[in-house]
Amino acid sequence: MALVLLPLLFNGQFILFMATQALVMMLVAIGLNLLTGYAGQVSIGHGALVGLGAYTTALLMKDLQWSFWLSALAGIFVACGTGLIMALPALRLSTWYFALVTLTFAQVVTDLLVEWRSLTHGFSGVVGIPAPSLNGHILSPVQVYLTLVVCVVLVFLATRQLVNSRFGRGMVAARDNPLAASASGVSLWRIKLLAFAMSAGIAGLAGAFYAVQKTVITPEDFSTDFSIFFLLCIVVGGQGKLLGPVVGTLAFFLLPELLGPLQSWRLLIYGVLLLILMLFAPQGLMGLPFFKRWQKRVIVDVDIQFDSAISLKPVKNLDLTIKDLHKHFDGVKALQGCSLFVKAGRIHALIGPNGSGKTTTLNAISGFIRPDSGQVMIGTTDVSSLSPYQVAQHGVGRTFQTPKLLGDMSVLDNVRLGGFMNEHATAFEVVLNLPRVRSDDLASKVQALELLKFVGLSSRAEELAGELPHGQQRLVEIARALAGRPALLLLDEPAAGLSMSELDRLAELIEAISKHGTAVLIVEHHLGLIARISQSVTVFDRGQVLAEGSVKEVFKNPEVARAYMGREGTGDSM
Amino acid sequence: MYSAKELETSDTLMFFDILVSGLTAGSLYCLVAVSFNILYQPTKVFNFAQGDLVMLGSMGSALLLTQWNWPWWVALLAVMVAVGVLTLVEEWMAVAPVLSRHSHGTGWIITTLAVAMIISNVVGKVWGVEPIVVPAPLPLSNDMLNLEGINISSYQIALILLTLALVFGVDWLYHSLWGKAALAVAEDRDAALLRGIDPAAISRWSFAFGGAFAALTGYLASPVLSASTTLGGILLLKGFAAAAIGGLGSTRGALAAGYMLGVAEAACSVWLSPGYHNTVILILVLSVLLVRPGGLVSSLEARTV
Amino acid sequence: MNMLLNVQDLHVGYGHVAVIQGISINIPEGGFVAIVGSNGSGKSTLLRALSGLLKPTAGSIVFGGLLISGETPSKIVRSGLLHVAEGRRLFKNQSVKDNLDLGLWGLRLSTVEVAARYDRVYSLFPVLHERRDVRAGILSGGQQQMLALGQALMQQPRLLMLDEPSLGLAPAIIDQLFDAVVSLRQEGTTILLVEQMVERALQIADTAYVMQNGLIIGKGPAAELQGSELVRNAYLGSFEDTH
Repeated sequence: MALVLLPLLFNGQFILFMATQALVMMLVAIGLNLLTGYAGQVSIGHGALVGLGAYTTALLMKDLQWSFWLSALAGIFVACGTGLIMALPALRLSTWYFALVTLTFAQVVTDLLVEWRSLTHGFSGVVGIPAPSLNGHILSPVQVYLTLVVCVVLVFLATRQLVNSRFGRGMVAARDNPLAASASGVSLWRIKLLAFAMSAGIAGLAGAFYAVQKTVITPEDFSTDFSIFFLLCIVVGGQGKLLGPVVGTLAFFLLPELLGPLQSWRLLIYGVLLLILMLFAPQGLMGLPFFKRWQKRVIVDVDIQFDSAISLKPVKNLDLTIKDLHKHFDGVKALQGCSLFVKAGRIHALIGPNGSGKTTTLNAISGFIRPDSGQVMIGTTDVSSLSPYQVAQHGVGRTFQTPKLLGDMSVLDNVRLGGFMNEHATAFEVVLNLPRVRSDDLASKVQALELLKFVGLSSRAEELAGELPHGQQRLVEIARALAGRPALLLLDEPAAGLSMSELDRLAELIEAISKHGTAVLIVEHHLGLIARISQSVTVFDRGQVLAEGSVKEVFKNPEVARAYMGREGTGDSM
Repeated sequence: MYSAKELETSDTLMFFDILVSGLTAGSLYCLVAVSFNILYQPTKVFNFAQGDLVMLGSMGSALLLTQWNWPWWVALLAVMVAVGVLTLVEEWMAVAPVLSRHSHGTGWIITTLAVAMIISNVVGKVWGVEPIVVPAPLPLSNDMLNLEGINISSYQIALILLTLALVFGVDWLYHSLWGKAALAVAEDRDAALLRGIDPAAISRWSFAFGGAFAALTGYLASPVLSASTTLGGILLLKGFAAAAIGGLGSTRGALAAGYMLGVAEAACSVWLSPGYHNTVILILVLSVLLVRPGGLVSSLEARTV
Repeated sequence: MNMLLNVQDLHVGYGHVAVIQGISINIPEGGFVAIVGSNGSGKSTLLRALSGLLKPTAGSIVFGGLLISGETPSKIVRSGLLHVAEGRRLFKNQSVKDNLDLGLWGLRLSTVEVAARYDRVYSLFPVLHERRDVRAGILSGGQQQMLALGQALMQQPRLLMLDEPSLGLAPAIIDQLFDAVVSLRQEGTTILLVEQMVERALQIADTAYVMQNGLIIGKGPAAELQGSELVRNAYLGSFEDTH
């Protein structure tokens, strides 16, 4: 707070000017941090978005005599809208494609600003932009500065709200572990769009202030170098940390002062700095021990007892039916007409030798693979052509062969990620911190805690997931899958790497889960576990169903032994 | 005012002008795209500094030729070696450390971008922004010849032919054992390891080769585009567009896409204005990639680089 | 008898997970050793540690008198230890011949030698010669496995390690494959075969090790282990207790 008022103490036009500039940059950096730091999409075009906001504001104020406030609003919409035209298709491509498209987009904006002379006054730019006024009273530079301060604070708070909500978790998941994100019902494209839209709107707002502060804007102001400055700010400060852009922009502004006589080499030094930071201090300033203390720690302060039975009940009780699935990859027939049925509340095992198609089946059910033909029915809905996040939203939760957790996030937040689709507040409501958001937030926290208690890890809720031993990571993943309250839980070789006591725990857990009504399909090699918990078993061999029935029936079947141990083909198999 | 015949001829002339201009520029874009592909294959890294490496080749050779009057082949060799070494340094400093931290990370976007900034600013500081006009190497020249009514210079003809030769040359190179090893590393790193191939060494060689190729492209570009420090940024975008539209890793794709871009640009200059070049490129890139994310020549093709 | 491969008290893990917890194995020159065990027992991890894809956390691997534990995969390949990985890791975008060419990586041979090596592989697997210009990705599973084997043979390995070659293949093809392996053995190549199809493996090997949960729970002449209680228990036994 004190920092903000500091520039006012100095009786210098110049300092006020610099401080205003710094805040404009900070605004953009906060938005960019959301897109690049949290959602992991590098953008080299935010300078152009600022330019769009600036030009819209400038032209509306100067040529049409609109008020600053309306022009700024228009600026936000133009920046956001134009950016979305580019981002909607571009975000479907892989990350680095997106970066280059933003670069091209920035170039296009600059080109068009010059080209559409009649509108934008071409190269010479817009001159003589009036100062903002309120109720007929023209704002002084100090008042503009204070207005900007208010905006920065509001945007920071809004961003903080978003980051701490399910959307923030979804963004980090999309960045670090897209499979885990999709399996938790997060649409990767939509969440990136959200991050982009917010960052673009913020850039537009910054542009509005940029225009009225500088009073003259030209296309050259919004070059690629300008976009790279913002990247520099967030890299210096620390990507993906709330205070990163704040600290980074301040540091970046102090740089020219420190450089002194080397000022003309500024750009070169920025390049070198960017390289050095990425190599040696990728966490930026916020990664330094001094600053780490400022970061918010997850404090688990909830002890309201909710009914745990409700947290674990599926949203709906549904059966799983697979009919005649076929899938081939590159000449190999992975699945050749497989069918399977799991009733709600039952535990069904899928076993078979390596390469028999078990994991392919799980992937086909959860949407990560599209079958060539056949149906996958959750209840009465055919999900075989849906993408993974859509399948998740139809009530399917799953774990993976190696636990896919977000290592840098707390255990509690990892579990909360699983509940993404059961929270209903929209991003808009989140940003405004409406009551529904707070009740959603509380419910999600409580549910996650209950689930952690259920799997026996409530003491570890605040730790970083990446620091847990393997067996416990496995349990966290199961808790995450349960957070979605799935009708069907798919477990992919959960026993791998577990100790005897952990196996016991796992067995009890799975039995308890199915008692609440969830259908469980477990792919496993550990036959002891299967025998203990499954009510029915299907055996696959080379892409086809070899046998099915109760555990006893299946294991007594000589065909099954043969498939596993290869007694067949002793010379008479031609 | 003009007779139908005159209008018709002037339309045809314009058509050929666009074609010549488009094929010339397109050849250069194709070469830039190929140099991107060479680096990309074993590493899956798209070098944001590549445009500036081409610029270095162009500026370097321009200076050597016009200021110090070196013979053309010595200048060419010198820049190819120098830029090749520089690219190796880039790999060692800016790419390898980032990849070893997170093999699927994208930190290299920012580090190679930083390298681009460094290169362009150093050159800018040393030389300034004046473009250097480079004459075509004898016996070729930039003078327009009039063949059957088509205006084309001997250098342009040579450039287009040379590009085709280079593209087929690179393709042929990837039929060598080294080339196959590079493709193997691109496809399955672990399997390559098991066959005794060292992916790190292959990556380094690819970077060096890609850098030298970029320098060659720069050298070839200067008589046509004029060597200047701003070349880097321009070629980054156009090289990306050609590589992406053609299909990353495909030389044939780069060729087709390069020509397509060159001609689209030339047409745009005639009917709209040069200011719309980048807009046309952006629209082309997005439309092609949305329909065929793998580019025109999808990676199902057997032979790629 | 000369021990070509000597593994002492090997420990291998990924991150937090200890997969192999102290294994010792000896393979004599010219021998044929099988390692059997159910999935999750650590068989593939063992091979990956032997070929250098994974670094052991403790223990030693000595091959032909040289300590190779911790060495890079390319060094290990050059010393004559070849690993045909699980799932036939071929270069599917390249042709059969290209894949075989890559098998020669790192070798300096005369044209005569090179031709001889191709001959050997083509005579062992004639179908590869027929389909030499075909893209490896469209070959059938059995042909791909043959190609993977052929690729390794180009280096004329002293010790050839095969990871579940029977995976997903029809019985007739498995027969063909195992016949080829046996003839290789007769030509003098030492073989280490990791298989889930235990009975088949025990039929053709000399000695066998049985793995479970990252440890060796039994070893001995293959003939003795065939149909034994020990082996049955390692695969199917654990659930019989609970009934």
